[in-house]
Amino acid sequence: MIRLKAFSYFEPASLKEASEILTQHKGEAYPLAGGTDLLVRMKREAIRPAALVNLKRIRELNGIQSEKDGGMRIGALTTIADIENSTVVHTSHPVLAQAAGVLGAQPLRNLATIGGNIGRASPASDMAPSLMVLQARVATEGASGPGEREIDKVFAGPGSTTLSDGEIMTAFYFPAMAPATGAAYLKMGRRSGGGDCALVGVAALLTLGSGEARAVRIAMSSVGPTPRRANKAEAVILSGTITEERMRDAARVAAEEAAPITDMRCSASYRKEIIKVLTFRALQEANQKAQGGQAT
Amino acid sequence: MKISIDIHVNGEQYPAEVEPRTTLLEFLRGTLHLTGTKEGCGLGDCGTCIVLLDGKPVNSCLVLAVDANGRRVTTIEGLAEDGKLHPVQQSFIDNGAVQCGFCTPAMILTTKALLDKNPDPAEGEIKQALGGILCRCGSYQKILNSVQAVGKGERK
Repeated sequence: MIRLKAFSYFEPASLKEASEILTQHKGEAYPLAGGTDLLVRMKREAIRPAALVNLKRIRELNGIQSEKDGGMRIGALTTIADIENSTVVHTSHPVLAQAAGVLGAQPLRNLATIGGNIGRASPASDMAPSLMVLQARVATEGASGPGEREIDKVFAGPGSTTLSDGEIMTAFYFPAMAPATGAAYLKMGRRSGGGDCALVGVAALLTLGSGEARAVRIAMSSVGPTPRRANKAEAVILSGTITEERMRDAARVAAEEAAPITDMRCSASYRKEIIKVLTFRALQEANQKAQGGQAT
Repeated sequence: MKISIDIHVNGEQYPAEVEPRTTLLEFLRGTLHLTGTKEGCGLGDCGTCIVLLDGKPVNSCLVLAVDANGRRVTTIEGLAEDGKLHPVQQSFIDNGAVQCGFCTPAMILTTKALLDKNPDPAEGEIKQALGGILCRCGSYQKILNSVQAVGKGERK
């Protein structure tokens, strides 16, 4: 039986208290959200926190709400299963539910949280690409008061974020999707239907206007040290009318600009092939959804 | 450091003092001696330690006992009522879905949670729900048959 090493445990009722405890421990204390990743790394002794600060009793970190302008707020401690099954998410930002539905297996999704998934800064995050194409903003609370940053500015490297000690992600804000916008998240794992770690994940978002893309965003995971945008591929889409050929070109460029590694899951060259296939398919799906006229 | 908790397991309150590092799985097996819940990998990959936490299946090896404080846990021991097996348990027996039995508690609990939400799930939904549990005997087809048999109205 794998036992956890001893640690001290805190269950603060407020953000202020949580932030203070985390600050006092200077990197030796870890915030506990769903635990599906943190406890695994502790059991494997990849990390050995002196203290865990359980954030679950802080009420304001929970829940999914629509905002007046068509946007949406998701509390950092909201579970992946709640996002997957939320009517609000399905109505206003369905790509997020699509991504949530392929993250790990269902029992894990009942525990795992969106804040934990982003805070872990895994290069293979299933949520990050969708947050990036939706241009999510991350609200934080810390010793220096409340803060906010773009999702693209959160990841610093594999397993590391730009958050300082004691800075806690509190919520994710999603601006409204423009009309005639479609988005998709596609993932390739070793098993079909999700459930395992992504070999590659690609999210694409397209806003259409008279046959051309008014806006396009493509983001990928498992293709480098952090989830990242495929800016060059986006430029290809924006260079003219949307045709199957242009989407294939963009997919090829996305594979070129990515820098995947070879690991126990698959080789770098195989990953490049998957990026090409998934980017093309994600663009196709986003295009079809955008043509449906609704923000899907 | 020990912390006082009060967990509701299979309809009964269990006040206890636990170390923060005790997982819900260790608490159930080691303290309450409810050994129907199995430990496989201990890392959230195999799913054999699944229990229902407030009615939802979760990997109990990845939940701290202190975190389950005040919540409702159902283990395989809590399904039979008045000596009568739960319809899902009966269906697993009737359809020969149990070989070594190690994954069976997790399979049955997850099935119960699925059927509580959706009494007649499609094959794809069943596979999605049970996708987090490994059966080393490879009895997947018979497990699927058992779930479908309950879904088709044999369930009371």
